[in-house]
Amino acid sequence: MSAPAAERTLLPVAGRGATTRLTLRLLARRPVAATATVLGFVLAGLAGVVSPWALGVVVDVVRDGGSRDDLATPVLSIVAAALVGALAEVVAVGALAQTAVPALAQLREDVLDRSLRLDSGRLEAAGTGDVMARVGDDVRTVTDALDEAVPLLVGSLTAIVFTAGGLFALDWRLGLAGLLALPAYAASLGWYLPRSGPFYRRERVAQGERAEALMAGVQGAGTWRAFGHERLAMEQVERTSDTARGLAQDVFVMLTRFWARMNRAELVGMLLVLGAGFWLVRDGAVTVGAATAAALYFHRLFNPIGAVLMVFDVVQRSGASLARLAGVALLPRDETAAHDLPGAPALVLSGVGHAWEPGVPVLHDVDLAVAPGERVALVGSTGAGKTTLAAVAAGLVTPTSGSVRLAGRPLDELGPATVRRHVAVVSQEVHVLTGTLRDNLTLAREDADDADLHEALDRVGASGWLATLPGGLDAPVGTFGVELTAAQAQQVALARVLLRDPAVVVLDEATAEAGSAGARDLEDAALEVVRGRSAVVVAHRLTQARTADRVVVMEAGRVVEQGPHDELVAAEGRYAELWRAWTSS
Amino acid sequence: MPHTARRVVLEPFRRNRGLLTSAYVLTVLWQLGEAAVPVMIGVVVDQGIATGDLGPFLLSCLGLGLVFLVFSLSYRFGGRMALRVQQAESHRLRLEAAGHVLDPRGVRDEQLSGETLSLATSDADKVTMLVRQLGYTIASLVTVVVTAVYLVGVDVTLALVVLLGLPVTIALTQAVSPVVARRTEREQAAVARVAGLAGDLVAGVRPIKGIGAEDVASHRYRTSSRAAQRSAVVTARSWGYLSGLTTFIAGAFLALVAWLAGSKALDGDLSLGQLVAVVGLTQFLAEPIKHLGDLSAQAASSWASARRIAAFLSTERDLVDGTVADVPERPRVELAGVTHGRLRDVSLSTSDGELLALAVDDPAAAAALVALLGGDVVPDSGEVRVGGTPAHALTIDARRRSVLVVPHAAYLPEGTLRSVVDPLGRLGADELDAVLAASAAEDVVALHDTGLDHAVRARGASLSGGQRQRLALARALAATPAVLVLHDPTSAVDAVTEQRVAAGLSALRRGHGATVVVTSSPALLAAADRVVWVRDGRVAAEASHATLLAEPDYREAVLR
Repeated sequence: MSAPAAERTLLPVAGRGATTRLTLRLLARRPVAATATVLGFVLAGLAGVVSPWALGVVVDVVRDGGSRDDLATPVLSIVAAALVGALAEVVAVGALAQTAVPALAQLREDVLDRSLRLDSGRLEAAGTGDVMARVGDDVRTVTDALDEAVPLLVGSLTAIVFTAGGLFALDWRLGLAGLLALPAYAASLGWYLPRSGPFYRRERVAQGERAEALMAGVQGAGTWRAFGHERLAMEQVERTSDTARGLAQDVFVMLTRFWARMNRAELVGMLLVLGAGFWLVRDGAVTVGAATAAALYFHRLFNPIGAVLMVFDVVQRSGASLARLAGVALLPRDETAAHDLPGAPALVLSGVGHAWEPGVPVLHDVDLAVAPGERVALVGSTGAGKTTLAAVAAGLVTPTSGSVRLAGRPLDELGPATVRRHVAVVSQEVHVLTGTLRDNLTLAREDADDADLHEALDRVGASGWLATLPGGLDAPVGTFGVELTAAQAQQVALARVLLRDPAVVVLDEATAEAGSAGARDLEDAALEVVRGRSAVVVAHRLTQARTADRVVVMEAGRVVEQGPHDELVAAEGRYAELWRAWTSS
Repeated sequence: MPHTARRVVLEPFRRNRGLLTSAYVLTVLWQLGEAAVPVMIGVVVDQGIATGDLGPFLLSCLGLGLVFLVFSLSYRFGGRMALRVQQAESHRLRLEAAGHVLDPRGVRDEQLSGETLSLATSDADKVTMLVRQLGYTIASLVTVVVTAVYLVGVDVTLALVVLLGLPVTIALTQAVSPVVARRTEREQAAVARVAGLAGDLVAGVRPIKGIGAEDVASHRYRTSSRAAQRSAVVTARSWGYLSGLTTFIAGAFLALVAWLAGSKALDGDLSLGQLVAVVGLTQFLAEPIKHLGDLSAQAASSWASARRIAAFLSTERDLVDGTVADVPERPRVELAGVTHGRLRDVSLSTSDGELLALAVDDPAAAAALVALLGGDVVPDSGEVRVGGTPAHALTIDARRRSVLVVPHAAYLPEGTLRSVVDPLGRLGADELDAVLAASAAEDVVALHDTGLDHAVRARGASLSGGQRQRLALARALAATPAVLVLHDPTSAVDAVTEQRVAAGLSALRRGHGATVVVTSSPALLAAADRVVWVRDGRVAAEASHATLLAEPDYREAVLR
């Protein structure tokens, strides 16, 4: 019942180079912590090498028939190494968190930031599940990976260097035999990495689909329930979750086959060392003790080598997530500062055409000029392209052809910050953010004080219900608080415009979702909001058109009529037909 | 069954006893196999290298190879089994969480959708991770026991020190684990809040962009993310302390054993070979000790997730469910003297084949009426009856079968125009055309070359408000309920289309059952067979639209 994942245009994923550069840049922000992390784990790794050495000394002491006092040095070294190792670990783990956690927090904040700034069409095409999976699942994957990989890598490399050194110190031929196992290790890695990479990427995508299905189930719960179609939403969750589960299992199967190959490499290395020991002892080149020690040293390399190889896997696994995070975080952010435009700016659209999907144009060659202070009503049947035109006029959408100018300058030249300072939109969607009523209002102007907020709410006619709201401005609203009606939510949205105080307002059927019972109150509020501003009002309630300076009638993506209300009614065209329908009933 | 953290944690084990037993046996075999490697090395040295005989050397090497084969295969298959169980149980918890939200009885939703998401993914994974953890724990314990048994044969004092010392060392490491657990729980809650906020902001992206509040919204997320970050760093530090403590205790314990064994060997109580074995084994024990030391903190983190899941699954249902399953095929819905919220002593009833319009002056009263008509809400006083039976006495299924109340802001799922309107694929082509025509949704279909197969994004995001509303109406008509309750179904469409919808609605529904429209749209009111006018929460009048227009107050209320 749903569009398959392939049809969804997911948000961008960064290439390997860009991902790596971003990661390094983020880690380099805390050079002290990063250095402390590495040094700490090196020290912890070193401390780990002390006890095998000290135990060897104990054995030597006993074999050489030493005294109890001779045991003191090795035994105390073990205690000292344990203490040093423990302290190093405490420092290193803390330092790692201080390096990695802020870097990841930064990354998830950037991802959300860029997502909010994305063209809304692009964001909706990707689905909110994609964003959610990135700031959730992907961040978690990378965090876990870092917690796991960094201590392993640094500690293991330290252990490998010292143990391998010990092996060569025994006899260079024994060391060489151990080294010959390297190709076997490399082969298992070479088998595994190219196979698992695509799986990890598919797993991430599947998790995004799963998030999308879960969000659809939760957000649409009331509707699913009303129709008795809960099963459909559940099936979707079940299907996507099952796909993700299948991929997780496939990845693990691959991983266990990789481990089996790694075991094979260990066995090969072990046999090489033992074999070399056998011939060397037969030739009298080394002692049995040395051959034994070599075998035990090589055995001690199993874990660290395995750990280092696993780091490759972790890098690959988290790399897929990191690339998805970087893909969004690295999207360019327009840093052009907002600046004021002189006087009351005019808004001019010329030759605007737009297609949300290639080949399906919804606007054709539309010209529309809104003079400073002029109120233009946009009417027409639904699907005529009014909402698209409103979005284009507001600079939320870049049209596929034609230009939009504010105060004579193209919008892309002004930059989004400046456009948003001067043009505000109230869309037909109402969404009350979870938080207090104040939080919802100060979204428009962070430094607004109580008096400003009360005034704005009063002007949109909300002071009545505000007075009965327990807690007033600080009343929690939305999911955890008072459920505002659609009309109240829209009043809040209109009050935000007053707080924002832009020169141009675009109201896209801002009174629609309230239902007819509240529509008239909202119309008054809308009138208050557009007073003294240029306005484009998308309206199917023609009372709003009647009071506008000019009515623009759209049909099938084109402007078919325009002029003052009375003239259009007299002209007996499309508007007159709409007006008759409106007033006759 | 009540949802407790205990049950959430234990169920996966209960359900998969067989598979997990095999998995754990194989995990133990793997661990013992790993432990046998140094022993086999000793054999190769003794039998082969020390003697210089090629035959025994090769034979013992073969033995070493066999040990490798056994532990490698054990891990491969034991690990896969445990993972399969973990994934299956995680999937199951996810479905349980989704099923809870999507239960027909409804749920008092106390969570943001993003938080629910985090619960169904991150927390579910964390809980089921215990399934795999237990395998390693058992393997560690078995290794410790086997080692202890061996030690008893070597030297009783040493064996006692190791056997008594181990629980003490593990207990010591637990001193900090409650702190770790508490912090982990706090961190997880903070992470869930961040996820919730992200979902909220992304869902509200249009209004946010509309007033250029991207900066403010982004800043708020940043603040919340930073709080979670601080909490995460604090938690990580406490894990560092735990880890450091375990390292130190394991080291100190090793030193103690080394000193004791060394002294005994010097006294001649232990042979050199035994000393090597004892020391080697104690060293080997460091791994299991460390694992057991971390275990309780990891388990605590899983428990925290389990508690959150259990709390979520225990949230109350908010719809009443009765026992009567019998309702007439075309029931009448009646409100008898209902007082509820803003409504005062409201009585009205539907009748089959009729289009009844409710003109309500107050949005809150309108919302209350809609909820009552569905029978999901029990009124403060008075009674709602469906087919003569009190609505609350009916099963939810019986109510759903007879009454469809379409929420005003209905959710449109991802799919195609066809699957949105007729999700179950029940309608024939003619029926579908009739529904699309009556709701004026045929215009939406006609806009696209792909027609009914045109893709629709989740929440109907790719459609305009009016298109969404007409599709939602088409879907309601396609469901052909015996009683259909609509709430302002044409608030986002233009006047001409509205008239078409009004005419189409009354014509199409006449043959299917009763229809109730809560509206103040003159087009719909005019098309209605009967209008009940509700003013100040009371029924002010009941007549046709044309008749009621004679009342100045009514005219004022419904005309534009």
